[in-house]
Amino acid sequence: MIRSEQPILSARGIRKSFGGVEVLYGVDLDAHGGSVLALLGENGAGKSTLVKIASGVYTADEGTIKIGEEEFHSLTSREARELGIAIISQEFQDASTLSVAENICLGDLPTKAGFVIWKEAHRRASEILSNLEVDISTKKIVGDLRLGERQIIEIARALSRDAKLLILDEPTAALSFHEAEILFGFIRRLRAECVALVYITHRLDEVELIADQVQVLRDGSTALLADTSDVGRPEMVEAMIGRRAAELGRPSLALAAKGTVLDWHEAGHSDLFNDISMQVHSGEVVALYGKLGSGAAEVAETAFGLRDLQSGSLKVKGYDTPPGHAIEAVRYGVGFLPAERKTAGGFMIRPVAENVSSASWKRLARFGFWITSKSESVAYQRWHDKLSIRSRNDPKQVMGTLSGGNQQKVLLARWLECESDVLVLVEPTRGVDVGAREDIYQALLDLAEEGVGILIVTSDYEEAFQAADRVYVMARGALVATLEGDEVTTSSLLQLAGG
Amino acid sequence: MSKDVTEHSEDASESPEAEAGKSLVARIMSTPPRLGTVPESAALIIMLAAMIIFFGTQADYFFSYDNFVNILQIIAPVGIIAMPATLLLVAGQVDLSVGSAAGLVGMMMAIAQTATDHLVTSYGMGLGLIGAIFVGIATMLVVGAVNSFFITGLGLNSIITTLGTLAVFRGLTRVLGEGQTVRMNKFGGLGGSRPFWNIPLGVIIFAGVVLLFVLILRYTVYGRAMYAIGASPEAARLSGIRVRRYITYGFFLSGIMVGLAAMIRLSQIGSQSINTGLGWELEVLTAVILGGASLTGGRGTILGTVLALLVLGVLRNGLIQMNIHAFWVEVARGVMLLVAVTVDRIRVRFTSVDT
Repeated sequence: MIRSEQPILSARGIRKSFGGVEVLYGVDLDAHGGSVLALLGENGAGKSTLVKIASGVYTADEGTIKIGEEEFHSLTSREARELGIAIISQEFQDASTLSVAENICLGDLPTKAGFVIWKEAHRRASEILSNLEVDISTKKIVGDLRLGERQIIEIARALSRDAKLLILDEPTAALSFHEAEILFGFIRRLRAECVALVYITHRLDEVELIADQVQVLRDGSTALLADTSDVGRPEMVEAMIGRRAAELGRPSLALAAKGTVLDWHEAGHSDLFNDISMQVHSGEVVALYGKLGSGAAEVAETAFGLRDLQSGSLKVKGYDTPPGHAIEAVRYGVGFLPAERKTAGGFMIRPVAENVSSASWKRLARFGFWITSKSESVAYQRWHDKLSIRSRNDPKQVMGTLSGGNQQKVLLARWLECESDVLVLVEPTRGVDVGAREDIYQALLDLAEEGVGILIVTSDYEEAFQAADRVYVMARGALVATLEGDEVTTSSLLQLAGG
Repeated sequence: MSKDVTEHSEDASESPEAEAGKSLVARIMSTPPRLGTVPESAALIIMLAAMIIFFGTQADYFFSYDNFVNILQIIAPVGIIAMPATLLLVAGQVDLSVGSAAGLVGMMMAIAQTATDHLVTSYGMGLGLIGAIFVGIATMLVVGAVNSFFITGLGLNSIITTLGTLAVFRGLTRVLGEGQTVRMNKFGGLGGSRPFWNIPLGVIIFAGVVLLFVLILRYTVYGRAMYAIGASPEAARLSGIRVRRYITYGFFLSGIMVGLAAMIRLSQIGSQSINTGLGWELEVLTAVILGGASLTGGRGTILGTVLALLVLGVLRNGLIQMNIHAFWVEVARGVMLLVAVTVDRIRVRFTSVDT
């Protein structure tokens, strides 16, 4: 290993709090040239905050950052960039309507008398790309590229500025297996060129594959720092979860499940998922657990008529034909909560009462069309207490003024008001605080007891562990395991989905 | 480390900006009176009252029953069109073709009535008054069908589609009128008759349309659904609302009301010029936006639009009575539109929550 002895970047005692809540408690971070450091941790452990401080996006409350010989108390992103620190975040930050060459030279196009020298721009871009040993035309429009290629263009852009430290924030979250392989190839090549790499992930297999060192963050502090060759998966999982594993409770097993309400049989859809066979019965909470890009969300969409099956079958409450669109699904008695609560779930600028009744307007209305605010308020009151929605208890309160968890309860109430007895919930507690999370799980269990069949699609293993009687685990478009009862443990979930 | 902090760090590190933003908005929203719900109608009522008092002191003839009836008569055609326009904007849709479509309906009726040799244009049909009315009705349905075909059938943006049909309808009107003004006989009743209290029939029809749309927007599933569609088309679709069908209905309603307005205007004037309805789309949009409907959809009331129509009507009437040149009236209307859009922007900024 040609690892540099002096770290390229060295952060000491980084503390950071947001709005009075401490997120990092004196964390250190050392990035050496020619070495890959994997930064591991659960959602909210502080990984992203730490690297954002290291790259000058945020300013630390306390602590110092040393880059080369220079020491900073408050690093700006401009200074970081000039010193060769590049960060590639989870969301693409490219100009998707421009060409590859333009993207690589973005902000630094070669010009002469104010005119762009296109030849030079393309030459520079293709030089960088050929150094990376990839064959992408510099004339292509970035938005037309595959996700993996786009990620590579982002890396190329970072390298066009001679990055000495490259930070990758969950770069494989949206990549296919093959694309991830290509990315690992780059990372190894960059390491050989003595670039320092910090790699954020929560996939354990990736850590073993490419990292030289692993640093695990838990609740804002370093829980483990070791050479990858010295630690095994169980140690990493333990460091990530810590004592929290003991705090989480499993739901008490549901009563004997009754009829099958959702029944996929060898269902497939081109390259998104294939050969999925799974069942949800009324009276149980089932989780479909898989990382982003595993195909889990896509499978769930077929139950609500948002996506067709190309092979296999899906029976909804015994009906042979799955719903063709959302309206049909609603008529079947299926309710659906999308992952994008704010854009596709709620009507943020409308009153909560309308949000609750929107799927049931026809039933609430007199003669099927005449509806009053009063009947909507009545509908809202029906669920306000039952789901313990924390609001001003004013049916006219605007949806957007509720907290995330309470918005989710309102959306749940929408389907309950509609008398849906099959619920498909995608990432139901994403961005929801801990207290409201417990409320939602409790509400789901109560509903299951009343005979509702519930499918939770989640990329959060804690959620699968806490809320579901039975867990299907998906990875790369296929079911890899079915866990029931005591088989469901946080470490088994993590290991199965990571592989 | 304390347990308390451990739990909270969950969300905070996920999206600190969102957290900070939320608390700010939450603070604004919890301080009564809430900015989002109060101002639009209150501000309009104050504005209207101030204008009436101002013009009342400036122009001798302003404060009279006949003048107020006159104001209503002038705003009636545009006002009738502004009702479905409010409904559409509530659902996030815009119909810019209304003025041209009104011209086309009127022109079709005028040329349908008399035979070619009595007319200045060579397209005369000689169908008589009843025939002409049927042609007018058919035309307004075609207008609705064409717009909704492109918007909900092909899924094109409503502004772009109706910008296109605006040109098409106006062009057709000019082709059919051959650049001339075409007379319409025996059709004065709709615009001219005054059944009671000296109120023109057109104004009574306008009042009826206002009432109809108040009921639609406030008390029908359809009205609720239009608000929902405007607030989030995707969420509406996922609640099982028939988004495309409902928007189609909206454009048909717009076509029908445009036809009604065109008939009233044709009746008021007694002839159809190739320029009838020119610029109505801007008057309608100004009124709807000034009335509080949000350009981003999901917000807006008929009451607000009606108040805005009155404000604009009183403004024009008052300025003209003060012998201010009509060109300046145009300027004043443009300024009102800018004010309306700015107010809308500010309102959205204060009430848009946590997105």
